[in-house]
Amino acid sequence: MDRTLKTRLEARLADHLLGSVYQRHDETEIRIEPGSVPEVLRILHDAVDLRFEILADLAGVDTGEVIQVVYHLWSPMTSDWLRIIADGLSRDDPRAPSATFLWPGAEWLEREAYDMFGIVFEGNRDLRRIFMPPDYTSFPLRKDFLLPDDAARSPGAGVRHVERGHGPAGLADDPAAGIRRAPAS
Amino acid sequence: MLDRQIGADLFEPIPPYPPRTEREGEFYTLGDGEMFLNVGPHHPATHGVLRLVLKLSGEQVVDVDPVLGYLHRGVEKICENSDYYHVIDQVDPLEYISSLFQEWAAVLSFEKLMDVEVPRRAEYIRVLSGELLRIASHTLYIGFLALDLGGLTPILYGFIERDEIVEMLAALTGARMLFNYFRIGGVNGDLNHEFMSRLGDWMSRAAKQTEASAGLLNENEIFVRRTRGVGVLDRAAALSFGVTGGNLRATGVPFDVRRAHPYSVYPELDFNIPTRTEGDSLARYLIRVDEVRESIKIIDQCLHNIPDGPVMAKLPRLLRPRPGRSWGACEGPRGMMGVYSISDGSDQPFRFRIHDPSFVNLETVPALLPGNLLADTMAIVASLDPVMGGIDK
Amino acid sequence: MRASMTSVMAFVKSLPAGVLARLSLAERLALIFVPLAIGAGVVTVLAIVLLGPPLTDLLGANLPLVRFVVAATAILLMTIPTAFVLIYLELKVIARMNLRVGPNRIGPWGSAMSVVHGLKVLAKEDFAPTGADVTIFTLAPVVTYMASVMTLLVIPFAPGLIGQDLNIGLLYFFAMGGLSVLGLLMAGWSSFNKYSLLGGLRSAAQIISYEIPLTLSVVGVILLAGTMSTNRIVLAQSGSLLDWFVFKQPLAALVFFIAATAEANRTPFDMTEADSEIVAGFATEYSGMRFGFFFFAEYVNVFIVSALAATLFFGGWTAPFNWPLAYNLNWFNPWSLGFFGWAAIVLTVLVIGSEFFAVIVKLLGGREWSAWDAMGLGFLIDLVLVVGVLGLAGFIAFDWVQGIFWFLVKTYAFVFTFVWMRATLPRVRVDQLMGFAWKWLLPASLLNLFVTATAVVLLNR
Repeated sequence: MDRTLKTRLEARLADHLLGSVYQRHDETEIRIEPGSVPEVLRILHDAVDLRFEILADLAGVDTGEVIQVVYHLWSPMTSDWLRIIADGLSRDDPRAPSATFLWPGAEWLEREAYDMFGIVFEGNRDLRRIFMPPDYTSFPLRKDFLLPDDAARSPGAGVRHVERGHGPAGLADDPAAGIRRAPAS
Repeated sequence: MLDRQIGADLFEPIPPYPPRTEREGEFYTLGDGEMFLNVGPHHPATHGVLRLVLKLSGEQVVDVDPVLGYLHRGVEKICENSDYYHVIDQVDPLEYISSLFQEWAAVLSFEKLMDVEVPRRAEYIRVLSGELLRIASHTLYIGFLALDLGGLTPILYGFIERDEIVEMLAALTGARMLFNYFRIGGVNGDLNHEFMSRLGDWMSRAAKQTEASAGLLNENEIFVRRTRGVGVLDRAAALSFGVTGGNLRATGVPFDVRRAHPYSVYPELDFNIPTRTEGDSLARYLIRVDEVRESIKIIDQCLHNIPDGPVMAKLPRLLRPRPGRSWGACEGPRGMMGVYSISDGSDQPFRFRIHDPSFVNLETVPALLPGNLLADTMAIVASLDPVMGGIDK
Repeated sequence: MRASMTSVMAFVKSLPAGVLARLSLAERLALIFVPLAIGAGVVTVLAIVLLGPPLTDLLGANLPLVRFVVAATAILLMTIPTAFVLIYLELKVIARMNLRVGPNRIGPWGSAMSVVHGLKVLAKEDFAPTGADVTIFTLAPVVTYMASVMTLLVIPFAPGLIGQDLNIGLLYFFAMGGLSVLGLLMAGWSSFNKYSLLGGLRSAAQIISYEIPLTLSVVGVILLAGTMSTNRIVLAQSGSLLDWFVFKQPLAALVFFIAATAEANRTPFDMTEADSEIVAGFATEYSGMRFGFFFFAEYVNVFIVSALAATLFFGGWTAPFNWPLAYNLNWFNPWSLGFFGWAAIVLTVLVIGSEFFAVIVKLLGGREWSAWDAMGLGFLIDLVLVVGVLGLAGFIAFDWVQGIFWFLVKTYAFVFTFVWMRATLPRVRVDQLMGFAWKWLLPASLLNLFVTATAVVLLNR
């Protein structure tokens, strides 16, 4: 438990924190609004007394009421793990900014969170399903996921959707757009 | 002629729907003189069911799109519906080659959640079995790397060595591969006579055997030429991808969870963190060999310092931790294995999130592969040591 | 044949059910095959007696056809057992080097494994993949096999035992060996599979690149021997051990060996069938007998390349030391016994000898050896002994037996080396392989050529 970390975080991130910094065992936890994720991550990564360089994990959580995105970071300056909970994503349309501007490795972790929860990460260039097939319609790790309903909606029941793209407009929303090939030369 | 008769796209690995994202559209657009090659889930060398759609220009890889999910079993969802003891069993088949480390990460997280103190003897036993399994995993890694490069023999020698270790662990835990040995608050069963005798026998030969097996490949000109300078991952890229484990240490960052964020009795043990700076496949391979030596050192220290005592803390039959969240991470053979668990007061975890090192290790493949030849594809993927069970959860 | 089988089966089925059920498998097989064998023997004898003379006249009138059939049969009889032996060697030797056991169930120590592989390959479904060009798909293994096999014409097995002592024997050899590229390319292209295409193109590039150092390294030998005829090259090395060309052309021998490994698509140059990258290379879509042909072609290739290495550099069929025992066996005229005498001796020796050894095996082995196994092993021991005695007699008496013996010893030493390399070495990457051929082997062979030519000129002066 690193008390100095708490003071440093409160100093740097004062207006972004929702509530106080919570510490237990060797973990420090902060809660932020999803909108402030890029700024907070940038500060944590770059500040000389924080230097959280290693993204340990990026996970989605469905609390039953809201959806959260949870980041775990590690820094050589402190003996604690830092947990950032981006709280308050609505369950109907969960959107969060992507962390790929800072850590390109977050791309697949965000794809997994999207696949399992439906969280749309804005700024992720490649937000498509990673584990489930492209015509899968449910988000399995949500709390309202019911296996029989999922089976009823599956291609086995004759339904064939393709997931909606979340890229730039005009690409996936156009059903006539096929795979472009280079002109035959 | 064939194109008109059959349709040239019949067997091409192009998805039959419009691209969902910018990257997908960019990937599935063929440039001039390029072709797709589907290194499909059924392949002798993809370390499990991994599908790599390669875009080749002749023999050179231009781009790669890994397709995962062929082994996705929904372990996280299953764990949400099983009680805390059962989770240990469910989490074993993730990185099935080194299954104690997933158990260790889960158990670390749960122990923090429940404020359980693990007896010191149990901690020493955990370190002992973990380091043995690390050696077993690394010998297999060396074998698979050689196999993917064409050498038929080191894999069999690797399996012989792994078999010795795994038989040892079978004497200790009762299973050869999916051990189900760690418990919240300790381990399931103390050291027994057969384990100790096998271990003593093995320790007397271990160092020499390691040198012999390593010497087979280290000094092989063809092997070195195939791996040196191939798949170079530089330090900044590795950090930005979130790569951990031997792959990160091969780029020069001495990050090892056992030293960076010590758990268990590692603060009391004396071992080095082998680090190299080249970042190529050869460096990744050599680091694994060095780690085997370090593990033998650790095992030696464990055997000398192990205290007496109970191997399991006293816990109630029905585990109902207070509501809370915890994160536990341990250093597996492939990197940092982390578990984030949320408890809601019931006897089942509310959320059980597994962070698998092979997942992020594999993520570097689209950055490492382009520019190399097809022949290097397998060398690079093998040198990253992916285990599909963990990647696909 | 089928009619007789069905009639026998009908007869067998008509027996009371109890009798049939009480027979063991061996007895049932005997019940079917012994009458068949007797019938076949009777039919053969009748055919010889009745149809013999007209048949002989017919054959005499079509002598070229007869020659062709005989030659084709000889080729098959020569190459397929060689391939079988090589396949078995590879499986067993690599297994031993991998600290495994290898095949040990089929036949004694697994030696009938290749036969079983051959039968399996014959029994598979014969298909061509969708989109494949079936004509070329079918012809490709034939081309590869013929290219490998036609080179056997100029390999000297023993003094006087060579297919055809061509004046341009070596040139013919390399010309035919190069034709295998065509087969691999055909296979790669016609399979309608990108893996095959990659494999075929890689193999074409590799074989063509390595042909140049291969042929250039041999030119030194040609200069020293003064002829391209393989028979005369071997004769030029007869004399003493130090006359072998490997001592006069060490660099050429090394370059030849490496280039030959690449020509035969063996590890470390087996990029074409790298099964960890391109599944099976050009042979990905092949199965059944077509794949069997590729398989045979590869092993025959290994054999001929080893044979050539032995011929060109290691003296061919010449013995490394002078064989002191020039024993004359003329007191025994084998033709005096006649057909029936020989048949009697053969039967006696085989039957009595195998029973004798079977009894010994059963006594020594005890319960572990069943009667059938003991008889089988006894027969085998007897066979080995008989062949050994005959071989020894032949070795002493005939120089061509000696020649074959030394030739095979040297060839199989090289074959063993090839198999050894496969077990131990990883694969060389395609571009490294090409670079090695063009940047290292080619200059080395040219250097060797210049030095040899200079030496020959100077020494002749």
